[in-house]
Amino acid sequence: MKRILILLLVGMLFVTGASPRVSAQGGTLTLPPYKKVKLKNGMTLLLMEQHEVPMISFNFVVKAGSVADPQGREGVASMTAGLLRKGTKTRTADQISNELDFVGGILDADATYDYSVGAAEFVKKDVAKGLDLLTDVMLNPTFPQAEVTKLQTQSIDAIKAAKDDAGEVITNYFNAYLYGTHPYSRPTEGDEKSLAAVTRDDIAKFYQSYYTPSNTILAVVGDFNTAEMERTLTEKFGAWAARQSPAISLPEFAPAQGKRLLLIDKPDSTQTYFHIGNLGIARTSTDRVHINVINTLFGGRFTSMLNSELRIKSGLTYGARSVFDQRKGRGPFIISTYTRNATTEQAIDMALDVLKRLHAKGITEEELKSAKNYLKGQFPPRVETSDQLAALIAQLEFFGLDERDINTYYARIDAMTMTDAQRTIKQYFPADNLVFVLIGKSEEIQSLVKKYATEINNKSITQPGF
Amino acid sequence: MKSLKMALSLCLLLVVSGAGASVGAQTFDVQTHTLKNGMKILVQRDASIPNVALYVFYRVGSRNERPGTTGLSHFFEHMMFNGAKKYGAGEFDRVMEAAGGSNNAYTSNDVTVYQDWFPRTTLDLIFDLEADRIENLGFDPKIIESERGVVASERRSSIDADNAGIVYEQLWATAFTAHPYQWPVVGWMVDIENWKMEDLKNHYRMGYSPSNATMVVVGDVTADEIIKLAEKYIEPIKASEPPPKVLTKEPEQLGERRVVVKKFAQLPVLMIGYHIPETAHPDYYALKVMQAILFSGQSSRMYQRIVDKDQLAIEINGDFEFAFDPTLFLVSSQPKEGVAPETVEKAIYEEFDKAKSGAVSEQELEKAKNILLANFYRQIKTISGRANQIGSYEVFFGDYRKLFNAADEYKKVTKDDVRRVAQKYFSDKNRTVSTLIPEKSESGGEQKAADSK
Repeated sequence: MKRILILLLVGMLFVTGASPRVSAQGGTLTLPPYKKVKLKNGMTLLLMEQHEVPMISFNFVVKAGSVADPQGREGVASMTAGLLRKGTKTRTADQISNELDFVGGILDADATYDYSVGAAEFVKKDVAKGLDLLTDVMLNPTFPQAEVTKLQTQSIDAIKAAKDDAGEVITNYFNAYLYGTHPYSRPTEGDEKSLAAVTRDDIAKFYQSYYTPSNTILAVVGDFNTAEMERTLTEKFGAWAARQSPAISLPEFAPAQGKRLLLIDKPDSTQTYFHIGNLGIARTSTDRVHINVINTLFGGRFTSMLNSELRIKSGLTYGARSVFDQRKGRGPFIISTYTRNATTEQAIDMALDVLKRLHAKGITEEELKSAKNYLKGQFPPRVETSDQLAALIAQLEFFGLDERDINTYYARIDAMTMTDAQRTIKQYFPADNLVFVLIGKSEEIQSLVKKYATEINNKSITQPGF
Repeated sequence: MKSLKMALSLCLLLVVSGAGASVGAQTFDVQTHTLKNGMKILVQRDASIPNVALYVFYRVGSRNERPGTTGLSHFFEHMMFNGAKKYGAGEFDRVMEAAGGSNNAYTSNDVTVYQDWFPRTTLDLIFDLEADRIENLGFDPKIIESERGVVASERRSSIDADNAGIVYEQLWATAFTAHPYQWPVVGWMVDIENWKMEDLKNHYRMGYSPSNATMVVVGDVTADEIIKLAEKYIEPIKASEPPPKVLTKEPEQLGERRVVVKKFAQLPVLMIGYHIPETAHPDYYALKVMQAILFSGQSSRMYQRIVDKDQLAIEINGDFEFAFDPTLFLVSSQPKEGVAPETVEKAIYEEFDKAKSGAVSEQELEKAKNILLANFYRQIKTISGRANQIGSYEVFFGDYRKLFNAADEYKKVTKDDVRRVAQKYFSDKNRTVSTLIPEKSESGGEQKAADSK
């Protein structure tokens, strides 16, 4: 795995930077201070100095993601972000790539459900060139037709290639099946059909509508002087004309009732991949810290209840886990693992048992303490580098939060009681209402899935869409 | 990475060259110490976060295995988490996580590396845990059986369920006929099913002497405290014989080899391997520069040609890993639907031929060096990334200081060097081609890389 991984990661993806200084003294952790600036056109700048390494990281958030994709044209937000660096009023895609690579820089963008996000990073001495490129792709993209067509066919093929590996696509199927007609049901990267329908106009229109100053947050972290950087960015982005962005509606969504199951046939499967879950929480949930503590114990770390039963004690799988995907609205809660075809039933039964036991027995004082230590002990490396910090403060701003979310994190963990734990389990971990999604060899597992749900649905992995 | 005062007091070398301006490598103050039992310890202080990354590199991997027990190093890596004398089954992880730490490990062809990440306040406990399993590993037959299932599942997810994994495995199995790099790190499925207790015990005796290991500690620690802890916990562990030398050399390849995998899939997969020398060979740096020119970034020659202009594939990658013995430069590509792998191959060979016959430009050379330098920063920006790099350079180059010399070595590479290595290693005789051809209807079948705990 290691060997393959290295190949696939060659020279890209990694957005990085200098390391920050997070002080954790006496059980508290405090983010380095940063300055928030609101430009006259409505754009938000966040500036944090970090001088350990001569590099500068940028992270921009545009408050529109795949939720804003036109119906049937899923993938527009993602393609818009991907095409930013594929041609501007003064540069071709090749020129941008050449100038960027020449300084060893990074500049990439993509869409999430709720927002579009771009990350860039440059060595300090090249920051003038870097900022020139970043500003150009953010403000002057032209979306050349040839580049649109190229990315469109690449994206469609990427989905087909991903479908050759069940583990890569099962979450898309789960979101589609859980959320029905809600915008969170639609894949952020689109699907084979929706991508084929996307036109250059869709992309130009998405950009015009949503890439506006008041919709944009730009975080900068690294080796610079705040006053100088603020001046430079105000010059670069101050002239960006203010425009009104349409509101994006995100309907409320209620948890699924009862039990339903979707089986996707992938006839070459030697193991079954499965997701079990329901609706989880929003990033801004006030119970988020409690939920993270419980989920650490349930399925969030190596010795979690799920991994202990399904891997450590029984050897049924290489790994079993659970996650609360936290978005602007309520994201999904998902239990996930995989096991060989013949042990599919045993593994699903065991996962359900572990969930039942969480409700019946709860957690112990000792476990609570262990999870608290773990979350606190593992947090500093997540705010270690400039790129991590830039992404973090931009996201906090997007979610309407600020540094207090981090600076009170340890205190909120410490304050959690056993009563909080019980309430959290009851309120946020599903019990009887569950959605199942399996990818596997139908021929071998179709007969056993009936016992899990009253409603059974079937698909083939080769059918377009999720 | 490093605290502010570190950066100031220790040569933060910012070498700015004339024209293209490349940044020179940053160096760090690494303290070294060798215990009486032979384990070498490297410590680099960085108090920017109150955490520590502790990596132990054992010079034992799948190259030290034999047919019939392939994958044993990786399986053994798993067993190192399954109970010792003081901390029994499940206790290593339970105790470490309860104290705020986490861990993992990886096995490659050449090494097995154990990784701990933890708050500095738990240093003493971590040494106690590590010493216990290094000295007194338990071998519970029941746990061995259960772990066998875990490794089989790992193999199914990383190879069988991943077409790139299958093609990769077949490539190495075909490119190497004599040398142990021919078998997958995770092992063949039938060997996973058949390892015996005695095999595990032999492997422990063979590979796990402290004298066969290097410990790297990066984070909010001092060299003094680490050396004291190591003297207390690790030094009493007795040294034994190192693993027997791997004497097998892969004979020169005298003609192209091809292997085809046919299975249910939507898209084909293409991988090509070229024999290149081991990491410590002087051509390492020229190969890296050539790699950057051909494969790094969207302005690279291969991306421009294959993904952007000819639009034959959705991705193209090429790179090589650290290795004790001569290894492969691996090119991999995901062809687009309807494009035969042979069409992608032809374009790749034409680009290699251009690198052999014509010179690369000054601009490309400069760009490659800038990219390599920026990558250097990225690899060492975190305490864990730095621990891994320091340890890897110490083990594969024989000296961690080579890490900080890398930028200078890249600087010395000329256009002629790039052409020379392209000519020397990228011939048709020296290549092995592995492809996956999709079959629309399925026939199943188990197929068979390696990994992480």
